[in-house]
Amino acid sequence: MSTAYPLPTGLSPATVNNTASLLRIVALALISGAAIASRLFAVINFESIIHEFDPWFNYRATKVLASKGFYEFWNWFDPTAWYPLGRVVGGTVYPGLMATSGVIYNILHALNLPVDIRNVCVLLAPGFSALTAWATYMFTKEMKDESAGLLAAAFIGIVPGYISRSVAGSYDNEAIAIFLLMFTFFCWIKALKQGSALFGTIAAVFYFYMVAAWGGYVFITNMIPLHALVLMLMGRFSHRLYVGYCSWYVVGTLASMQVPFVGFQPVSTSEHMGALGVFGLLQIVAFTQFVRSHLSSTQFRSLLNVGLFVVGIVGTAAFVGLTVKGTIAPWTGRFYSLWDTGYAKKYIPIIASVSEHQPTAWPAFFMDLQFLIFLFPAGVVMCFLELRDEHLFVIIYAALASYFAGVMVRLMLALTPVVCVASAVALSSLLDTYIDPTEPDVAEEQVPASTDTTTSPAQAVTTTSKKAKKAAAAGPPPASTPLTNLIAATSPVKKGSPPPPKGIFGIDARLVVVLNTLSMLFFFVFHCTWVTSNAYSSPSVVLASQNQDGSQHIIDDFREAYYWLRQNTPETAVVMSWWDYGYQIAGMADRPTLVDNNTWNNTHIATVGKAMSSSEEVAYPILRKHDVDYVLVIFGGLLGYSGDDINKFLWMVRIAQGVWPDEIQEPNYFTPQGEYRVDDRASQTMKESLMYKMSYYRFAELFGGQQATDRVRQQVLPKVGPTLDYLDEAFTSENWIVRIYQVRKEDPLGRDLKSANAFEKGKKRKRSKPQPRRRAVA
Amino acid sequence: MLSFRGLFWLLSGLVALVNSKSSAGDSVLVVVEPNHRDNYSIFFDGLKEQGYELTFRQPKEDGPLIIQDDVPNFSHVILFASETKNLGKDITPQSLVHLLSLNTNILVALSTKQTQLSSLATEFSLILPPPGTPLVSYFPERQDSASLIPVAITANPVVSKDLPPVWFSGVPQALGSNPHLVPILRAPPQSFASEIDGGSADALVEAAEKGGEGLWAGSQLSLVTGFQTLTGSRITWVGGVSLFNDELAQKEVAKGVKSGNAQFAREVAAWTFQESQVLRIDRVEHHLVNVTEPKEQYTNNDNIVYTAYISKYDVKTSSWKPYSGLTELQLEFTMLDPFIRTALPPVAGSPGKYSVTFRAPDRHGVFKFVIDYKRKGWTHLHSSTTVAVVPPRHDGYPRFLSAAWPYYAGAISTSIGFFLFSALWLGGEVREIKKGKGSKAE
Repeated sequence: MSTAYPLPTGLSPATVNNTASLLRIVALALISGAAIASRLFAVINFESIIHEFDPWFNYRATKVLASKGFYEFWNWFDPTAWYPLGRVVGGTVYPGLMATSGVIYNILHALNLPVDIRNVCVLLAPGFSALTAWATYMFTKEMKDESAGLLAAAFIGIVPGYISRSVAGSYDNEAIAIFLLMFTFFCWIKALKQGSALFGTIAAVFYFYMVAAWGGYVFITNMIPLHALVLMLMGRFSHRLYVGYCSWYVVGTLASMQVPFVGFQPVSTSEHMGALGVFGLLQIVAFTQFVRSHLSSTQFRSLLNVGLFVVGIVGTAAFVGLTVKGTIAPWTGRFYSLWDTGYAKKYIPIIASVSEHQPTAWPAFFMDLQFLIFLFPAGVVMCFLELRDEHLFVIIYAALASYFAGVMVRLMLALTPVVCVASAVALSSLLDTYIDPTEPDVAEEQVPASTDTTTSPAQAVTTTSKKAKKAAAAGPPPASTPLTNLIAATSPVKKGSPPPPKGIFGIDARLVVVLNTLSMLFFFVFHCTWVTSNAYSSPSVVLASQNQDGSQHIIDDFREAYYWLRQNTPETAVVMSWWDYGYQIAGMADRPTLVDNNTWNNTHIATVGKAMSSSEEVAYPILRKHDVDYVLVIFGGLLGYSGDDINKFLWMVRIAQGVWPDEIQEPNYFTPQGEYRVDDRASQTMKESLMYKMSYYRFAELFGGQQATDRVRQQVLPKVGPTLDYLDEAFTSENWIVRIYQVRKEDPLGRDLKSANAFEKGKKRKRSKPQPRRRAVA
Repeated sequence: MLSFRGLFWLLSGLVALVNSKSSAGDSVLVVVEPNHRDNYSIFFDGLKEQGYELTFRQPKEDGPLIIQDDVPNFSHVILFASETKNLGKDITPQSLVHLLSLNTNILVALSTKQTQLSSLATEFSLILPPPGTPLVSYFPERQDSASLIPVAITANPVVSKDLPPVWFSGVPQALGSNPHLVPILRAPPQSFASEIDGGSADALVEAAEKGGEGLWAGSQLSLVTGFQTLTGSRITWVGGVSLFNDELAQKEVAKGVKSGNAQFAREVAAWTFQESQVLRIDRVEHHLVNVTEPKEQYTNNDNIVYTAYISKYDVKTSSWKPYSGLTELQLEFTMLDPFIRTALPPVAGSPGKYSVTFRAPDRHGVFKFVIDYKRKGWTHLHSSTTVAVVPPRHDGYPRFLSAAWPYYAGAISTSIGFFLFSALWLGGEVREIKKGKGSKAE
């Protein structure tokens, strides 16, 4: 056999194997290193700090867990959140992340390594990303082979779509959840392939971990049953499927019900009914198979018809009945919003107001996945070509996740692993084909590869996995699949002539493709590094801008303001702000907040929205009723920080309108022309709203008679700014991003604060008259 | 914090014991024209006898200042210079309101002239007639001018009712809707405001036309009006300064009956200077039934004991005495709205102690124990203690429920069944090994 380039000879297979596995281990270690290292941009560019919003809560909860122990954490009632309702944290939180950090923290301390809990939290996500790379390797190995696995591991290690959620400091549930997701899927595939109750149970254990860690576990809960259902519909029911699924479902469901926040949901909500239904269907199918082996075919057929009919009717009736009765909770709004993208905006503005719940923009796919997004369909096609049971899984996963990623930005995260797997399969097939030194034999007719997908699936799977992989790697696909038939029909090769020999000749043809691929990979690495360092490593608690000489300038207004609160206000001072900043205030300022990022109570949020969007006179009783001492607003007009409260203001109005449609109406906040303005053409309601007043209070003074320009909205503000009667300005940060106002106490003389203020300024009050005690007779 | 406050109360109590009569301090600034000072000797001497330190100041003088560096220099201020337009730089309507918020008490006399003080009166929801229109009454028939009126004391929360009538000459005040007002002396029903001493009738008519009918007339008018601010300080508006002078104090209202002026002035000053009807909450306690230690968190449906200790200032001994006389004290347990509102009755046998036992609501959240006692003439009592009510702990629920027996039975029977089945299966395998193999082969 001729080869395109010389191969070393005389190596024993054992040596080759050992070297290969050593290389694999080294490669995985390097991938892990790269995955961790690229996530440290955030620490190097900024500092070791917890990022964004939700991580601050997780960090705070972890501190409680680490200092007080698990049972206290479980029973933790947080009186400072959602004041005065409080939050039963232990029962409304996915404790997996905190428990993981707590365990790591305790182990390190048991080893006499006095690591700060903050560092554990900051570095947890990078650490788990290395594990994710390994889990993806294992998963992809099941799909194709080790080399594809290594590619997939490298992809997931540095792909921005995953890094965006797992940089150092991004201490969120997703940090560990993607690892759990991939490992659960790996165990499921393994259980399915081997029919192993052991792997099914391991899958269930990791499923439990996933349930404890992230609300996205519902994805697994529906993904695996869907896979099982498709297998059954394709007539691929087997005892391996039965054993794998049942052991996963029974153990996993019972385990997931132990998480307090989940409780009885697995048996009472629509989201989980699919898994239960497939479990029931599996029993029926298994029973049918059993009956078939004992009955003649005609008897069996009539029995089957009647049985299917009855079971179908009874099952559907039971489901509908229970749903109507309320035993099974109907689909939640979040679920509907997945299918109808306009649903949330109409009915649940609070979900629609979150930026990561918006539909994904097309460039985001390229930004997050770069060339993987082009390889991804190719990989899915390769899965179709082989179509073993596990490939079906990837196909279903790919179809679902692509849809979801298009609906919501944050679900890009769920798509990323399957993109990495599919792309790795495609790319490694390409590389296999072109690196393979075997020269095609020109003289002889080419022998098709040994894989035969027309054989029954059961048989196909029984061939040893090694053989299957070899066949898959061997190059030209078999001619008999529908897809290749299609390709053959459209290709311009004449039918009559004998097919010309296919294959790759010479080293140059190989090099062209291989070098091209390598350069694509290089560009991918550069892209990932660039995106990670520039776009995804900002903590968003600390902002960065560039000085004129190009050096970095840190804008630290948030922490400045939060520390001011922490050091200048009584510990019980209640701070009202829009819910985005609730966790940060609780975490950094350690003060009670009215609402926070755990948006469980829409009415309470609407109350805050109402206070922000009404006039001072209306807002003041609300503030007093909720014991609010300070009001905090984010204002970007001076610096040009576009994520400020005025830009979020319409959402506050909408959410408040949802609860008080008579008092708050969105159109009132627009100009008659329908524009959203803050300058002197702004509508009266807008100008009188508390949010507007707090944002622009004394803003014009800053410009000393010059035109006061809001740099976010590019509008010129009136020279005479708004006045405040019920609030006092307490603190404004260096760049005016955070402004804090103190709520005034009631006037000691019982006047309303507006006239008290007028009196204080020495304005003459209009002489009031005694009230007539008798009504004039008309 | 609490002990510090206790110490503070103790110290102030000690100071009071030595030389003061008022619960708020004993230094008094009197702003009065020097040539009129002797006209009020009975009133001022009475105050001095009680232990007050009077400092006199002329209205035109600049010192002593009433407030310096945001700290009041005197505990009480008497403004008798009612006819003076300007009272000096530091005595402005704004600074007087500021003094009140710093817990200084003020006794103000008004006059028929338009001064700063009459514009300040509007801030207290007092509506004065136009300038130059004092109260006039032609009943009962008497020798004196129509604007010098004997006024009988009617029911009021401040002054004792059995005093003889008092002579009054000055402006009446109509009362606005402010709940902090405490009318002390009401005008006689036959009296009205009129332009007797040189004011213009037009102004009165105009004001009357603007406001409707029946203005500044009748018993709805107040002549001496107290006002208690939210901070507890008190200010009393007296329609005419002559009420305090020696001449009217000596004047008879009927044959052989001296007027009640001296005693009335004394009692009004006592109320204004926080000698009488002064209450305070010494401390509050809350704990579970049969426990003495308070908890930071209570669990749903806990039985909670709430206790408040209330004292009243006793002017005779200049000290705080436990006081059990409040019969309508209420306790609220609120989270946004009161979940529980219950009477807080005095405990028989332990003076000053008010206590109630109630069951916490079946709702978790941050609750407040609130006492909010506001009665006219009395110090407002307000106390708010924040406490969290939490759901039961994970092991705080009952372990076995009788209602769950069907489930227990199901679990137990399944376990036993599985055990029996396993035993039978394992035990029976030896005999049926061939059959089992056959069926398994498929």
